[in-house]
Order: sequence, then structure tokens, then C-alpha cells
Amino acid sequence: MRTRILAFTLSIVICAAAHAELKWEQTTVELHPASTDKEAVGHFKYQNTGDKSVRFKSVHTSCGCTAAQTQKDEVPPGEKGEITATFKIGDRTGTQVKTVTVDTDDPVNATTVLTLKAVIPQELEINPTFVFWGQGEAPKPKTIVVRAGKDFSVKQLKVTSSSPDFETKVAETGKGQFKIDVQPHDTSRNMAATLTIQPEGSSKTFYAMARVTNAPAIQ
Amino acid sequence: MKSSLVRQALILVALAFLPGIGQAIYFRDKVSWQSPIPASEMVTVAQARAWGANAIWVDARPDVEFEREHVPGAVPLNEDRWNELLPQFLAAWSPEKSIVVYCSSQSCNASREVARRLRDEAQLKNVFVLKGGWEEWLKKK
Repeated sequence: MRTRILAFTLSIVICAAAHAELKWEQTTVELHPASTDKEAVGHFKYQNTGDKSVRFKSVHTSCGCTAAQTQKDEVPPGEKGEITATFKIGDRTGTQVKTVTVDTDDPVNATTVLTLKAVIPQELEINPTFVFWGQGEAPKPKTIVVRAGKDFSVKQLKVTSSSPDFETKVAETGKGQFKIDVQPHDTSRNMAATLTIQPEGSSKTFYAMARVTNAPAIQ
Repeated sequence: MKSSLVRQALILVALAFLPGIGQAIYFRDKVSWQSPIPASEMVTVAQARAWGANAIWVDARPDVEFEREHVPGAVPLNEDRWNELLPQFLAAWSPEKSIVVYCSSQSCNASREVARRLRDEAQLKNVFVLKGGWEEWLKKK
């Protein structure tokens, strides 16, 4: 009899431990911002399913690029709400995974980690984004390959150099791929240029760099 | 009697482990928010300091943190303003120098991402991530 009572008590304790008062609709949000978007906002909705209030003690993010906000400091029983996570895209590319750690005074489920995944579309893939020559190296052209990213098409590219010391030539190599030949006029002195790459019909500008260094090239 | 109690306790413990095991299986392929990085691409504060003038320090933290304080001589290069800051960094860069990228602490990911982009996109060599980041540098100051 005593065994059964003990087993029953243990079951109750474990069941109580499994019950979280703050119930999250989802702890992972995947966002697909447009290539021109400046930020991506994730909404993490919750409800207090317990019978006492839950207070947020702290909310912190894994990156300075993400800000998280709670609507309130305390959530009464039965009440719903959400935490918004705003991810500043900046010049980031590809898939970005950021976390928001939420600490509450709930003794059972004190910490919840929310995950914000932003898949940033890449309109152009530029490889490499930097070409350089050592001082005194033969001023032969170096090639930058540019191709349209997945789900994008590029018909024409306009490339301009910020310095007349570097010349650029663009040639289409097919299937949305281009090559940019970059050539310095001479390599006798330290000089640099920013190459502005503008796909036709796109509002977004891309960049590559060219430089003659004051050291021998080891490329 | 005693063995029955032990058996029941073991069953309960096994049941308690089930959600954890399920989660481990379900999330096994999920992307980690921290990029993996081989040990050979990490550098300690002492090692980086020993390089002296042959190292270029890169601060991958947000602008406000860089403006507050940074490693003397460090160049800011974060992903918020990558296109704007990269030319400034490349103007300071030289092929014979090692690049030491740091962010706030051991747990931050910005330095790993900046180092990856310098290697993959700009195709630079000798790019390292500072172990422990800015926090570690402050401790060893």
C-alpha cells in the first residue's frame, strides 16, 4: 500500500514538473525577408495557462543585431501576449540564427530559449569580393565571378570603379553568370578602388574591392 | 516489496527522460546559432599579442560598443555596415599580417561570421578568431 502511495506521489510531482505555466505557441520562428528589407520581426506568442502570475525577470538576445521586447512585465493567469524579436539585417547574407533567452520567476520552467531564423535572399554571389596585387607585380587582370542567386535572374551588370587607376571589363559567361576583369594601370604604388556592381533592374547595389598593396603579393 | 519500489522508481525515471530523448532526436539536424570553427582558426590573447605589429585586430562588435572602447589600433568591421567598413579594413590590411577578429565574449558569434566572410568572400588568409573575445582581452589587459 505504502509503495503505491509513494509511486502515486512521485507521479504527481513529475506531472507537476512537466506543466509549464507560460505556454509558448512556438519557440522557433523562421522568417523570409525580401532582399531589400532592413529588418525582420519575429512574434513569439504565449499564454499563461497556470493559476498564478508569471513575471519576466530578463530577456536577452544572442546578438547585438537583435532586440527583444516584452509587452508587459507580468502575465496574469489566463492572459496571452507575445515577445517580439527584431533582427536588424544590415549587410548580413544567408541564413541567420539568433536566440532570445527569456528568464521568468516560474519555478518549474524558468528559462525558455526562443529561436529566430532569418533566411536572407542573396541576389548576387560575388567571388571573390577582393582582388589585390603586390607592389611591382605584373599588372595583369584578375577576375571576379558574379552569378545570380537562387530565385533571381540578372540580364546585365553595370560595374564602375571609384578610381581611374583600375579598369574593369564585364563579360557575360551564360546562365546568369558574369566575369569582371579588373586591371590596375600600374603596380608601382599603393592604391585602391571600390567597384560598384549594379544589376539591371535591381534597387540593390553590391561592392567589390581592388587594391595594390605595398607588400609583395602572396595570393 | 523493496524490488517493486525500485522497479517503479526506475520506470518513473525512464518516463522523465523520454521528452529529453525525443527532443534530442527531433532537433538533431537543427542549425546551431553558433558557427562551428576549427581550433586551428582560434587564437588566444597571448598568441595574438605575440604577433605584435604583424597582426591586424578587427572589432566585429556593433558600432556603439566599438566607440565605447576597443583594442588599441583595432579596425571596426561588423555585419551591420559590412559594405561600408570593408574598404576601410582592406586599406589597413597587408598580406603579411595575420587578422585577429573579436566580438564581446566566448558566446558571441559575430567574430566567427566576420572571419568566415573574410576567408570565403574576400579570400583572405591567416584569419583567426580571438578566444574569449573582448571580455578575455580585458582580463589580460
